[in-house]
Amino acid sequence: MSTAVMMEPITEASPRLKAKMAGVFYVLAGATYIFGEVFVLGKLVVQQDAAVTANNILMRQPLFRVGFAAAIISVACSIALTALFYDLFRPVNRSLALTAAFFHLVGLAIAAFSSLLQLAPLTVLRGGQYLSVFKVEQLQALSLTFFKLHGQAYNTFLVFFGFYCVLIGYLIFRSTFLPRIIGVLMVFAGLGYLTFLSAPLAHYLYPFNLAIAGPGEISLVGWLLVCGVNEQRWKEQASAAGEWCS
Amino acid sequence: MSTDVMTRRITDASPRLQARITGVLSLLTILTGVFAQGFVSNRLVVDGDAVATATNILAHRGLFQWGFAVYLIEMACNIAMTALFYDLLKPAGRSVSLVAAFLGLAGCVIKTFSRVFFIVPLFVLGGAHFLSVFSTGQLQALALLSFKVNDRGAQMALVFFGFYALLTGYLIIRSTFLPRILGVLSVVGGLGWLSFLYLPLGHRTFPYVAVFALLGAAALIFWLLVFGVNEQRWKEQARVAGEW
Repeated sequence: MSTAVMMEPITEASPRLKAKMAGVFYVLAGATYIFGEVFVLGKLVVQQDAAVTANNILMRQPLFRVGFAAAIISVACSIALTALFYDLFRPVNRSLALTAAFFHLVGLAIAAFSSLLQLAPLTVLRGGQYLSVFKVEQLQALSLTFFKLHGQAYNTFLVFFGFYCVLIGYLIFRSTFLPRIIGVLMVFAGLGYLTFLSAPLAHYLYPFNLAIAGPGEISLVGWLLVCGVNEQRWKEQASAAGEWCS
Repeated sequence: MSTDVMTRRITDASPRLQARITGVLSLLTILTGVFAQGFVSNRLVVDGDAVATATNILAHRGLFQWGFAVYLIEMACNIAMTALFYDLLKPAGRSVSLVAAFLGLAGCVIKTFSRVFFIVPLFVLGGAHFLSVFSTGQLQALALLSFKVNDRGAQMALVFFGFYALLTGYLIIRSTFLPRILGVLSVVGGLGWLSFLYLPLGHRTFPYVAVFALLGAAALIFWLLVFGVNEQRWKEQARVAGEW
């Protein structure tokens, strides 16, 4: 019994393992997002044509639903990432790490809500008999409106994600256990996402505002997956901050 | 500094009391949810019949409004339960417990927001003058549509509650202060809720998953209420994890 208890300190994963897990969740969140948002919705939704969009969705319902599932999994992976990043960056600056996590959580709640708006068109288009009081064109226009709302809600998420990237970039810069250059690149990535504060500005700068996110996010994920963090220095910074207690 | 920690600890409720409160909140979450769903949603909304639904809602406005309030209380209990359970399971794995709490919170946000769509019928059917550009039939259809979107949102939240049950189940299994079987039940129930990632599958499996998950939840609540947690072992595990 007491040996079983003695074994338990292993329950808390090492910082390096946490960093690698964070990298894995980052990749999963990105991949499912690209699949759901870019591949599935990009394929099915035709921006100015409600009728074609409606037909695409009704003809390819399983694909549409898988895209929705991917969007939810993307949010769930991002939430796991947020918790792990909070743990990882606590030694650098506890309150700032918490602020960053809260920014991202609020953003992700909005992203999850935007997924509901993404599913609503199917409820409209498969509504059955009771919706026959509307003309088919009206229902198609309504469902395209839901998609546009989905896009707006998602842009709102990107703004909060931008704040998150800036804060994480700063935390990386101030940390002793990750390369500073990645922190700088992440700040630039965050600034790119912050252009979504104004839809016309984001539209004007597209695709450069998204391209600028590439170096930061890719280098961060690559570093986390391959190197994790410098465990020795993480523990030093943690004990200096009084966070490491064993 | 260390005396400061000591005094702070004493103000915190004992793990057993915390476990009992968690049980109470969990029970309240289920009871309020079942009440609002069973006595309000299912009684007033007739699937596929917008006219009957509208008539029911208008005839029982007060009840419908109450349903909304009870749904919000359900989520308030759920959020409080998430915070307490996070604290309770921390000794079994702090990061995993935090991930679980964040996922549970996300589920609560989604479900709470869905309830905005639940209350929409009251506005659409309210007879405001500016809505008279729509025919009565169209307004009734919009009301039912909005109700259905609310349902979709609640089902979406189930996925997040599924991830939550999966992780808390894992933590219960790793803990020394709660029976492992409760964790296993929670993991299996959580896997079941994940079927709502693909709605047609979720609808098909719902009756089985709901019964199973409810049994698992009932067992956990019973245990938390009657036995709480093994306080001695909780403290041991917490100290070993450096949390105590």
